[in-house]
Amino acid sequence: MTTGSTTTDASSSKLSLYEGSTQYRHWRFSAEQLAQARASLNATAVSAIGEKFEAGSSSGVSFLSADEEVLLVKFYLAKCSQLCIHLGFPEEVEATAMTYLKRFYLKNTVMDFHPKDIMLTAVFLATKTTNHPVSLESYAQRIPKTQPSDILGHEFLVAQSLGFDFAVWHAHRALWGLWLDVQNLPDVNMDELRNVYESAVQHVRAARLTDVELIYTPSQISLTSFALASPALAAAWARSKIPTEPEPRVLAVIEPIKQMIASQGAPPEVEAVRAVDRRLRLCKNPEKVVGSNAYMKKQEETERKAEEKRKRKAAEVQKAMEDADPFGSPLARDTNLDDDDDDDD
Amino acid sequence: MDAVEKANTERQKRWAKDKKVGEGTYAVVYKGREIATGRKVAIKKIKVGQFKDGLDMSAIREVKFLRELKHQNVIELLDVFSSKTNLNLVLEFLDTDLELVIKDRSLVFLPADIKSWMAMTFRGLEFCHRNFILHRDLKPNNLLIASDGQLKIADFGLARDFADPGYKMTCQVITRWYRPPELLFGCRYYSTAVDIWSVGCIFAELMLRTPYLPGESDMDQLKTIFRALGTPTEEDWPGHTKLPDYVPVGQFPRTPLRELFTAATPDCLNLLSKCLIYEPRRRIGAKEALNHPYFFAHPYPSHPSKLPKPAIKNTLPLEEVDGNVDLSGPGPAVKANPPNKLKRKHSSDDLNGRSIARKLDFTQHTGDR
Repeated sequence: MTTGSTTTDASSSKLSLYEGSTQYRHWRFSAEQLAQARASLNATAVSAIGEKFEAGSSSGVSFLSADEEVLLVKFYLAKCSQLCIHLGFPEEVEATAMTYLKRFYLKNTVMDFHPKDIMLTAVFLATKTTNHPVSLESYAQRIPKTQPSDILGHEFLVAQSLGFDFAVWHAHRALWGLWLDVQNLPDVNMDELRNVYESAVQHVRAARLTDVELIYTPSQISLTSFALASPALAAAWARSKIPTEPEPRVLAVIEPIKQMIASQGAPPEVEAVRAVDRRLRLCKNPEKVVGSNAYMKKQEETERKAEEKRKRKAAEVQKAMEDADPFGSPLARDTNLDDDDDDDD
Repeated sequence: MDAVEKANTERQKRWAKDKKVGEGTYAVVYKGREIATGRKVAIKKIKVGQFKDGLDMSAIREVKFLRELKHQNVIELLDVFSSKTNLNLVLEFLDTDLELVIKDRSLVFLPADIKSWMAMTFRGLEFCHRNFILHRDLKPNNLLIASDGQLKIADFGLARDFADPGYKMTCQVITRWYRPPELLFGCRYYSTAVDIWSVGCIFAELMLRTPYLPGESDMDQLKTIFRALGTPTEEDWPGHTKLPDYVPVGQFPRTPLRELFTAATPDCLNLLSKCLIYEPRRRIGAKEALNHPYFFAHPYPSHPSKLPKPAIKNTLPLEEVDGNVDLSGPGPAVKANPPNKLKRKHSSDDLNGRSIARKLDFTQHTGDR
């Protein structure tokens, strides 16, 4: 409501800015919720795709499990990072694209859309949403075997899957703040501090390969990365911020994040990924495989529906013309004609 | 159907388009409603298919920032959905804008009314700035007015996050008459002060009922500013002669604001002058402005519902929500047309600004990690 919405205004309530963000409101889960969401997404996908196979031919197909999907996505998260570095994109683009990729696969299955394709679109979209736009053509040229249409073809799908929540709050930004902050601690050695920061940056980058950003806040992740680099400095910083707590609770909160970064923060084994990818070739949604029978069928179906809609619309226009005054309808009525979405191209 | 596609269709079904109310080169605006409640909305349909680089930057900016900003004085983005290759933004429906209010000669403004609009503008802007967002296109026709009188900042097509130190930004932003001198001098590192200057110009316009600094070209804009406020000295604005596009445009004496704004109180002129300080770092901030004595002195701001409003006409000036459209719009010559044409006249320079801004943006994609 226009006037009644004040209660949700970050300005007029006690919400922090972060709590007003789409990241906090739409993309924050518990570890259990994540596992649950992925399992049910996978189960739905398996049964839906199973039906698309021609009768009987799906019986022998071994579909990917939720964990295998995660593994494949993770491999492309690492690739995504490499691609951005290779193209000289700022870290903001890289981090944003990786977040997009993770969020995308909370709504879609790799059996419908291969992460190697989605990754390219996620990076391209991220260049725009972080205000570092590049021309599509030059971007596509720098990626082997890729046409501009391959990238644009998925742009809408990616934007939709993200729920159009383009803004992302990143741990590396929070870490920068922390780095400025710790320089004010008493008795710090700048050289040592710089080394700690550099190493913390590496931990933040490792954290991007994990699910931590879907569970914890950027500030928690940045403090964890700092603590991984220097537990003493992190503790000193926490105590300086929260002088009332001799053992700040936040240091306990970040323990599980440490575990996750340590255990999941490396790219997956190529061999394991290759095995999954090989199986994916056999179990991917046939409707998405250009040229397959199921693909043709789906295309025909879409075409038929569009045709029906066009006919219906033509009939409506025809009827409107017959009913109308031969000298044209009153001006105001014209505007009613074009309220359908069909005329767009 | 894929789950994502299904969710999109569900969202699409919540809204109905009733009537086309504006059309530009790449967006069409409809008046519509929420089907379940009958609530009036504006639906801005952006044609995406025709852009060779996909979703275009101004649409992305608008969606990105409006998804995050929820405030009484910022236009609310209720929903986003796609239809084929179109992006549809469902925005709250707003009756009019401050430009139409200013231009309606039948309306009389009380000092308390002006104070109320200024307070709402600063509140909305303070919220944007608190969220690290620069609007970069504040002008009366981007300040929309709801039926209950609330003012809402709209059109985030040129907005951006504050840049990190060392990142250049384009200076081709903000409609010329509202553009601060540092941008006219080609400053590539700037901050919230650019929006404050625009608000200062709007403040003056509310009192004068005509644009305060209507320059005819970028060069003339500087001259217009200096004629009104005096040519800055090195002391007024240290270092300004070193700015990239600095050119001397002549010496003009400083005339006290009081001579032009004869009816204004000292508090009022003090706040106005602080919005129009040359040195950007000394210009007042939005939060500081909200605490300025002007807002606490008599007369108190009018209640939004009591503010003057143009009579509702049949053709609703809905185009404000589609401020970033119509690159081929009529040029400055068009004057004697319906309200939205007047706006076109205004927008012609900002549209230039936009296309340049976009071009410039494309050149700055390589940054260091």
